[in-house]
Amino acid sequence: MQRRAFTAMGTEVELLLDIEPGEIAERALDRAESEFERFEQLLSRFRADSELSRLNREGRLDDADPDLVHVVGLALAARERTGGRFDPTVHDAVVAAGYDRTFDEMPADRTGPAPSPAACGGSIRVDGRTIELGPGTRLDLGGIAKGYAVDRVAEVLGLAGPCLVNAGGDLAVRGGAWPVGVTSGLTLELSKGAIATSGRDRRRWRSAGAEMHHLIDPSTGSPAAGDLVSVTVVADSATDAEVLAKAAFLGAEVDVPHVLVTADGRTVLAGGLA
Amino acid sequence: MTDTSHRTYAVAIALVVFFLTWAAVAAKPWATPKQDPRLATLAQREARLRADAQLVQQVVDQRLAAYRIALKARKAQIASSQARSLQVAQAAAAPAVRVVNLPPLTITRTS
Repeated sequence: MQRRAFTAMGTEVELLLDIEPGEIAERALDRAESEFERFEQLLSRFRADSELSRLNREGRLDDADPDLVHVVGLALAARERTGGRFDPTVHDAVVAAGYDRTFDEMPADRTGPAPSPAACGGSIRVDGRTIELGPGTRLDLGGIAKGYAVDRVAEVLGLAGPCLVNAGGDLAVRGGAWPVGVTSGLTLELSKGAIATSGRDRRRWRSAGAEMHHLIDPSTGSPAAGDLVSVTVVADSATDAEVLAKAAFLGAEVDVPHVLVTADGRTVLAGGLA
Repeated sequence: MTDTSHRTYAVAIALVVFFLTWAAVAAKPWATPKQDPRLATLAQREARLRADAQLVQQVVDQRLAAYRIALKARKAQIASSQARSLQVAQAAAAPAVRVVNLPPLTITRTS
């Protein structure tokens, strides 16, 4: 088993490739790593020179990279499909909540005025390779971009052999059977598809004395409230799993295998998992 | 008017009457017009072509009806094949997961 770990897209990435060590494995892992770097360069809101940052600054891109166009299209479809629970226009709300730099650079306790909610649901127009945002609309593609990157990298790495690609909890497999820990005491063996987890158990901080986390409820423009701590979803792609996990965390019914962890410590298996 | 003048007029009138009569007789208004054999051939050919066209139309109608039946059957076949493919694709795309008692190779967590 070949393993490589590195940091990309603001999280730890782990690549597992089930082939003999050698040049093929090394080249496949190198290629996978460089793909993550490419996606980060394209889709990160924390890199001032990324295409996404340029789109957020200028409100329009006429010759956007096809991957950016594709991810924005997927995000729009996800917003439609989840009735707005998943929304890529939460950028200003996340920033207003205090998540305005990479999580590693954020102070655990921010002082200053209490954050105020920001409006979500702005308009996005995609026409060919042109992306146009409505006035005041900015995109945060964080989760869905990570899921998309995981799917694409799994395709690349899967050409070399059975593999698992895990970017901070969003993971996809190609070939083989992979035991994946969900909570302590619960392991799912995934032999096809992807898993993603969304929750408020990580990426938390305090702002003006209030507990904040990164999952914004687009209907309020503030970090989501509720009695769930996290939702883990199994789907056919990491992109879908990411979207569905977020939607389920915000109360949507999902018809795929999923695991809910509640604030009182219960773990609920649903969607055909037993 | 002299006798000579009278005679000249009479001769001229006689000549006119003669030529008119000649022209009328030469036209043979009593004779039935003789049919051009080429016209007859043309008419026969037209009739034959009409008959052929009717035959061809019948054959085309029959073939079109058969084609429509075959097309309907083929469309049904394609629809059923597409439905089967969709089922297979959905089954292939569906994630395969089960709960196991194994040590995990990796973990998922809030990303």
